[in-house]
Amino acid sequence: MRPAGYLLFLALLPLVLNDFWLTLVATRALILGIIALSLTFLATYLGVVSFAQATLAGVAGYTIAYFGPNTVGVGFELPFLVSIPLALILSTITGGAIGLIARQSRGIYAIMITLAIGVAFFYFTRQNYALFNGWTGFSGIRAPEIAGVSLRDPAALYLLSLGTAALAMVLVAGFVRSPMGLSVQAVRDAPGRLLALGIPVTTPIVTAFAFSGFLAGSGGILNIWYQERISSFSVGLGPIIDILIVSVIGGLRHPSGAFVGAVVFVLLDTFAVDLIDRERFNTLIGAVLLLIVIVAPNGLQQLAKDGFGRLRQSNSNATE
Amino acid sequence: MPVRNTHNAANALEVRGIGKRFGGFWAVRDIDLTVRPGERRAILGPNGAGKTSLFNVLTGDTGASAGTIAMFGEDITRVPIQKRIKRGMRRTYQHANLFDSLTVRETLFLAVAGQRGGWAQLLPLKTSDPRRIEAERLAEIAGVKDFVDREVSDLSHGQRRQLEVGIALAENPKVLLLDEPAAGLSPAERPKLSALLMSLPKNVTVVLIEHDMDIALQTSESVSVLHNGRLLAEGSPDDIMQNDDVHKVYIGGSHGH
Repeated sequence: MRPAGYLLFLALLPLVLNDFWLTLVATRALILGIIALSLTFLATYLGVVSFAQATLAGVAGYTIAYFGPNTVGVGFELPFLVSIPLALILSTITGGAIGLIARQSRGIYAIMITLAIGVAFFYFTRQNYALFNGWTGFSGIRAPEIAGVSLRDPAALYLLSLGTAALAMVLVAGFVRSPMGLSVQAVRDAPGRLLALGIPVTTPIVTAFAFSGFLAGSGGILNIWYQERISSFSVGLGPIIDILIVSVIGGLRHPSGAFVGAVVFVLLDTFAVDLIDRERFNTLIGAVLLLIVIVAPNGLQQLAKDGFGRLRQSNSNATE
Repeated sequence: MPVRNTHNAANALEVRGIGKRFGGFWAVRDIDLTVRPGERRAILGPNGAGKTSLFNVLTGDTGASAGTIAMFGEDITRVPIQKRIKRGMRRTYQHANLFDSLTVRETLFLAVAGQRGGWAQLLPLKTSDPRRIEAERLAEIAGVKDFVDREVSDLSHGQRRQLEVGIALAENPKVLLLDEPAAGLSPAERPKLSALLMSLPKNVTVVLIEHDMDIALQTSESVSVLHNGRLLAEGSPDDIMQNDDVHKVYIGGSHGH
């Protein structure tokens, strides 16, 4: 099935799924997948694992909360047509700034720097009341109405999330085929060689991080409309690790694997509590994740790809 | 005694008293070279003679500890590598360190496009983009046109060497420095590389380090021989073939032994 076929199939899901499945599973998985896509994009094409993606989503989310209607009386209201682009601009700039800070780091060092930024932002939001309203954050945030359709409606938010996810994938595919995208991949493969071509490596690194900030920011905006609140816990270590887990399940080297990982993660997170004692459901989630990592160290996306490859091979052998 | 720090614009490269020291060890010392525009110059020498150190100083990969380098009369001794590239100097590397996940076409495109283009760099590449067409032209020159859409990681060692030459030819270089292009090639691949080197545009000055004496002498019109970091001999390939000092260095005996 071609991508348009998948998209059509997914767009028809609101006709068959009830609000529980549509909202708590499908929409949540799409939003988590978009934020995780910002990480798998960086890992696949720049070769850098960033722990600051929840922070970038949080920057966009807090911007929407501060400049939108909320029930805590902090910030001031701007039209959504202003606050949404502003949120994306701020998350993009923050992404670029993180890239600038981490530009000379690879492997564990990049992880440490981005983790430090993420944790610093978490504590900052807890302690700052003027912008972030401290650890309680913002609540009562409402998704806007567009052309008379409220985005609080489960089907509308699902379709918007689906459209955003599809657009994000198209943007990633376009970016990696652009001259800048080629430079980003060249930085991953041989930074010294790129320099020897007269191309500075900082620009591609900062651009890749800024683009990942844009992606994470898109997910962050949808997430705040989905959650209808944001607090320091939304940008803490928990969400940081969740995004990493989603990306690893799907396959860190497979951008679209973020959505596969998000579906598995959301299903586990939602239903583990029904399968096992309430006190033990986190253990079950951990055990399943461990199993996935052992069986498919390169993620489920790669496992499926290898499986289909073997199937095709055996079919062609059988016909010969 | 050569006159130092006065450079002739008529020379593609003019190296005066160049030296490179690592701690107390001089990898190259007191090297004088004059390469005319369009000349094919080979730099020969046994292992450890200082060929690659000299190359690294010429290209700006490492700084010179002594002496001066001029390209077409302009002193480039302290000019950083990226500015030397902008002035038309290109090099290949002994160990072909390429972008393994990119295709041949994409690699050559990067070499052609550099960092130019502003915001357009964020847009997908069009098939009619003149830089893409130029990349295809380079692929043809370098003999890699048949596999332009293949990933670099799938190329043979010889094909990677050819691609290196194609990259170095991007944006019409004035001076091309080739660091052991035949290193690691099979006997079957060597004639192909020799043919490629001999077909390089005549307006490009080529300085070639080569361990393989046959390829070096076949593709060059003048030869400089290094030994223990110093210039041992200079002349035409025939002169070098007849030079007793060179024979002693290479095969441990005088010519004819």
